[in-house]
Parts: sequence; C-alpha cells; structure tokens
Amino acid sequence: MMPGPVLDPSVIESLRQLTPPGEPDVLAEVLQLFLEDVPLRIEKLRGAWQAGDAVEVQRSAHSLKGSAGNIGATDLLAVCRLLDDRGKSGDLSNFEGLVASLDAEYARVEAEIQRLIA
Amino acid sequence: MPPLRVLVADDEPVSRTVVGAMLKKAGYEVSFAIDGEQAWQQLAVRNPPAIALLDWEMPGLAGPEVVKRIRASEEQTPTYIILLTSRDSSADIVTGLKAGANDYVTKPADEDELIARVNVGARVVELQTALADRVRNLEEALANVKALQTLLPMCAYCKAIRNDQNYWEKVETYFHDHSGVSFSHSYCPTCYDRFVKPQLDALDDVTQGQRSQKGR
Repeated sequence: MMPGPVLDPSVIESLRQLTPPGEPDVLAEVLQLFLEDVPLRIEKLRGAWQAGDAVEVQRSAHSLKGSAGNIGATDLLAVCRLLDDRGKSGDLSNFEGLVASLDAEYARVEAEIQRLIA
Repeated sequence: MPPLRVLVADDEPVSRTVVGAMLKKAGYEVSFAIDGEQAWQQLAVRNPPAIALLDWEMPGLAGPEVVKRIRASEEQTPTYIILLTSRDSSADIVTGLKAGANDYVTKPADEDELIARVNVGARVVELQTALADRVRNLEEALANVKALQTLLPMCAYCKAIRNDQNYWEKVETYFHDHSGVSFSHSYCPTCYDRFVKPQLDALDDVTQGQRSQKGR
C-alpha cells in the first residue's frame, strides 16, 4: 500500500486560511502547539498502559485523536482510533505493537511539521 | 452591534486553538477554558458569553455536567450550548442534548459546519434577547398602570385629577387619555332632584311670570 501524505494538504491549507490579515500565523501556532502537547500525551498513554489503567489509556488516546484529526494527520489518527477502542474495551493485552506504531507515526508527523515550519 | 462572545472549552490545546481561530475569522469574540471547572466559572457570572462550545470529554467536569449546572442556574437569556463530540458516539450525543445542550458538532470540526451552527445559535440568542427586552418593557408598562390605579390625586371638590405633568384634568379627559374610555353625560336621580329639578322649576316660574305680564 502506498502511504498517503503524512498531513492532509487540504486540512493544512484550511488552517493556513484561518490567519486574519496582520495577525500571527495560525497554522504555525497550531503545529507548534501540537509538538509541545502531543509528546506529553503519548507519554501519559504509555505510563497508563504500563500501569494497566485502561480508562486513562482511553482518555489519552481520545485527546490524541482530537489533536491528530485537527491537523489532518491521517495515519496517526487511525492508530489513535485503535488505541481509543482498545482502551474502551479495557483489553490492554498485546499492546506493544500499537504503542510502537503510535511512536512511529508521531515521528513521521513531527518530521513533516519540522519541514513545514522550517 | 458588538460581536457576540463565544466560550471555547476544551482541554486539548490543538482543537481549542483551531476552533478559536475559526470563530475569530467569522467575527466572534472568543474566550477559552482549559477544563470543565474553568468553563463553569466563566459561565456562572452575571453576563456570560452568549454561546459556549463545550468539549464532551474534559477532565474534572465533563461537558454534560457543565450543561446541567448552567441549566439549573440560568438567567433570562440562556447561554446557547454546543457540545463538541467524537463522531462515533451517538449515545453520548443523546445524553448531551437531554442534559440541555442546544446542538453538537463532531470533532475535528469542519469550519463551514461549525460556523453555520454557531450562526444559528447567534440568531437564537438575538431572538431571545429581543423577546426578553419586550417582556421587560411590557412589565414596566404594567407596573405603571398599576401605580395609576392605586394612587391617583383627585380634587376633593371638583373631582379633577392631577396627571403626570402636574396639570389638573377633568376626570373624563384623564380616563379617556389613559384607558380609551369615553363618557356619555347624563344625571343620576339624586342629582336630578338636587340640581336639575330646581333649575327647571326656576325656568317654569320665569315663563309663567312672562305670560302673566303679557296677559295684562
């Protein structure tokens, strides 16, 4: 399967359009916030998984889903959905693979953001 | 008219910032809350934001709980509440609407849809404000009418009434101006005997006197 774009270009474009004339760039602000906030939430999810706390796993996955969706990070969003569902079901067995995909997808998104705001 | 104020309450900074930017672009004045407790504090004031967008899953105080508290404590013009939810939670949506939310938007929010729904909220709020003003005016008018009924200065002799401009009016004029009542003039039996009959008798005397003079 050919991987799609890391960040959906139409979402990025509409974020770019949100900047009012003469104001700071909304797209840059949002991407910067993403880089600050999302790693913290990934660590929270990892901690919750290691502690066997499915409720907290679900909560973290849910907000990650929101962040990923807002910047059009399609593949990261898909992984977060899986994590959210698993958290909801309370079944945290064989979770390493999912957490590894989360880290990998985040790394791709981060690289793409660095490229965009460079 | 000044721009309507909209509160965006979401613990997730990326969503919060994006939704806030969409609203600002559409001309709304935006304030933010990072959890349910802050949202509640901003809404439980005397002049709260007209519209509130509340995230469903906030730590501390979740969206529906905030909605319940607001609805339990509301003033004349209620805040229009839109819940922000994930698209895969129709049971949650029903719970939220039952708790008293006016509408919901799924996350991540589509800009056109979000603004269209907030604009609907703005129309509802403006309508409610106009109605509340009208009710207030009517209540004031009613209070005035009652004051007139309960305390009306009247001359003890001629029965003239002192109006709001400190001018003594005939009782007919006063009531006609204030209530639209018209009067037809007549006399009661007591006044007939007291005033009308003596005058008629006097007239009779005069005409008889004239006749007897002619007869001479």
